[in-house]
This record gives sequence, C-alpha cells and structure tokens, in this order.
Amino acid sequence: MISEQAIRDQLKRITYPGSSRDIVTLGLVGEIFIKGADVIIHLRSSSATQEVLRHISGRITSALSAVPGIKHVAVHGGQPQGTAPQPPPVAAPAQTPLPGVQRVIAVASGKGGVGKSTVAVNLALALKALGNRVGLLDADIYGPSIPLMMGTEATPRAGQDKKIYPVEKYGISLISMGFFLDDKSPVIWRGPIVMGIIRQFLRDVLWGELDYLVVDLPPGTGDAVLTLAQEVPLNGGVIVSTPQDVALLDVQRGIAMFQQVNVPILGIIENMSYYLCPHCGEREDIFGHGGVEKTGLEVIGEVPIVEEVRVGGDSGKPIVVQQPEHPVSQIFLRLATRVMEADKAIRSPHIRQHA
Amino acid sequence: MPNPMLVTPILEENLLRILWDDDYLSDYPFTYLRGWCPCAVCQGHGGERNFIRVENPQLVSVGLVGNYALNPRWSDGHETGIYTFEYLRSLSERLATQNENSTES
Repeated sequence: MISEQAIRDQLKRITYPGSSRDIVTLGLVGEIFIKGADVIIHLRSSSATQEVLRHISGRITSALSAVPGIKHVAVHGGQPQGTAPQPPPVAAPAQTPLPGVQRVIAVASGKGGVGKSTVAVNLALALKALGNRVGLLDADIYGPSIPLMMGTEATPRAGQDKKIYPVEKYGISLISMGFFLDDKSPVIWRGPIVMGIIRQFLRDVLWGELDYLVVDLPPGTGDAVLTLAQEVPLNGGVIVSTPQDVALLDVQRGIAMFQQVNVPILGIIENMSYYLCPHCGEREDIFGHGGVEKTGLEVIGEVPIVEEVRVGGDSGKPIVVQQPEHPVSQIFLRLATRVMEADKAIRSPHIRQHA
Repeated sequence: MPNPMLVTPILEENLLRILWDDDYLSDYPFTYLRGWCPCAVCQGHGGERNFIRVENPQLVSVGLVGNYALNPRWSDGHETGIYTFEYLRSLSERLATQNENSTES
C-alpha cells in the first residue's frame, strides 16, 4: 500500500500558480486518507479562489492517478469530515468582493466644487457606451447630486430580504442617498450612520452582474472614503481636479489616502481643463496648466469648460447621452477607454485572483 | 509593496502562513501575530507598540480589509486588529531576523 510520505512527495512537485512554492510547503495540503488503492486529499481552508482550487485539484488528481498502487483520487477543499475541528474561513463574508461586480472604480476629489460628480456620471455612461454593464453608486451622502444629473425621480424598489433594486436610467444602475431624501432636507448625520448607509449601498443593493461599479466618492478624505476602502477592494481610483488645484494640499491628501489603502490610482482627470471658445474654437488655459507634473501621476483625460456639460447636468441628460457626437462626449469616451486600459494594466493588488 | 497572494491558517501548528506575490513565505505563530496586534485596545493611543502576551490564542477567521489589510478574529472575541500588508510584512521580516540571530548565537 502506498505511504502517506510517498503521496506528500508527489504533491511537493505541484507548485501554486504564480509561485515557485509547492502546495505542501504552503500548508495547503491538510489530511491525507489512504484506504487500499483509494486516496482522499483534504486541502486546508485558505484564501485561494475556487478557480485556483479547481486547478490545483486537477493537478493533484493527475499526479496521483499516475502513481502505481493508486486507483482512485478524491480532493476536498476545506472541510474535513468527522470529528476534526472546523477550519477557519478566510476572508469573512462581509469583507469579500461584491458578488457579480467585476471592478469597482472610485472617483475622488481632494475638495468639492471640481465637478467630480459630472465626471463620475459621464464616465459611467461612457463605459456603458463602450459595451460594459455599469453601476453608479453615489456615495456623496451629504450632497447627493446624481439623481438630478441623471434626470430621475424614481424610487428604488424593494426586493426580498431587505434588499433594494437600483434605479435604471440611460442603461446604467444607480443608487444614491438622493433617492431616499426629501429634496430640501439637509443631511446632518453622524459618521457611523454614514458608514452604515454606504455599507448598505454596497451589500444590500441588488446590483446584478456588472463589469464596472463607478463610485462617486464624497469630496475630501473622510469617513465615507475610508469605509469604502475597507468594505470592498477598490480596484482603482481616479482623481478629479482642476488644473491649478492639482498641486494643492487637498489633492495631495487624496492621493496619499489612496496610496495608504493600497488603491491603485489610475490617473487624474483634469476637469475644467481649458476653455474652448465656441466661436473660434481656440483653447484658453484659463485655470493654468502643467501643475499635474508635480503629482507624478498621469493625466488620463482633460475635460474642457464647455457650456453643454453644465447644461447636460442641469437638464438631467448628461452630455454623453444628450450629444454622443459632441467633442466633449468623445473626450469622456476616450477617458472611459483609458480607465479600462489603466485598470487592466494594474492587477488588483489584493489577495491575488487568478483570472 | 508586495501583497499577499495566499493566506492559509494552519491550526495544527498554531500559525498563519502567508505567501506573498514576490514569492516570499511568512509564518506567523499565533502568539506572535496576536502579540503584535496594532489595535488601540491592545496598544493604547500613541506611543510605541508593545508586545502583548496572550496565552494560547486561537485564530477563528481572517478577513480581508479593503485592499490593504487583514483582520484576524480570535476565539476570545478579540477582533479589532487591522494589520496592513506593510505591517504584516515587516513583522515577518523581523521574526525571520530574530530567528536567524538566535540560531547564530
């Protein structure tokens, strides 16, 4: 009969994907049961994804099936049977990536008034225009402007188990505090309540299958942003700034914040980047230019000051939807493409998923 | 900054094993990991970090905090430790140095 050690030796030849280390050294191989010519391998609970576990399972089965004396191989990932203690789950459910949502992109600004929400809305719509399934989460609890900008007064429908369906408009899914508030009431809530709401927006909304969830963060670097960074692995952050603000302390803080919570910064979007004269088409850098070099970040898009953008926001029909052929819409489309490219170029830095 | 690629609790040996994406391998004995818990309950506010001796801590689960930290939960209910990847890595390297030094002497 084959010995446990012989089996371990075979398993020591199987490396973990992406590493030179073998699965035995990594501690993935738990108990080994041998009954005649049948072998059962129990893998320990770990952060490995189902996909990786399937791959490893396959390698184990091939390797052991080829050994004389072994007829049947079974691999179990995780729970040993009988009286053995339950292995601890890794990555507790509340802190796993959002099911069904492929990528979460945060749109931040160091300070208010730079047009972050306008950028977030048009970016989301541009991503949709490029064929992605997109959701938009307005996490600006104190100043939720997205329902107005998207021209919707709908109320999210309730689903089962206290879940909420997002509002659909222009082909994307939306959720915003604005849907739940009376227009005129100022939002004066303490931190924990804001954090609770953001958690609900993430976990209790039935987002369905999305390629991108764009999160319009509140301005600055407070509680809400930190909660988001803790609750869900943000795949990328985009910082919106005006040209002359880009070197200011506020933007520096925004950048530092993303770096501290390990969120890759896809780049900076310069909003109100320059003025395009509607008559002669000339470009005026009325807010200055070139400050972004000091940040060391890439400008992935420049959105000029053009009346249609503001009108789009005020009328509830964002420019990307209202005038897809407009040069500024084209800029947002290029921006969305750049976001997709930058995002692909940066692997998600959290416990690596082998896609 | 390297990131964890695989996190595996090994209860039988009372340790947490982490494979990093630069192929570095770390072992954190539970007493060591719990002892260097950075939370305010263990460390107070401000000042240096101190090692807190806990008898036989048992790991119940390990959660992922955003993109940047792990949150171990212990059987005595202690679960306020947020260990950034950077902190975890430096803890591991420090332990490795300690072990090297003790085998040399």
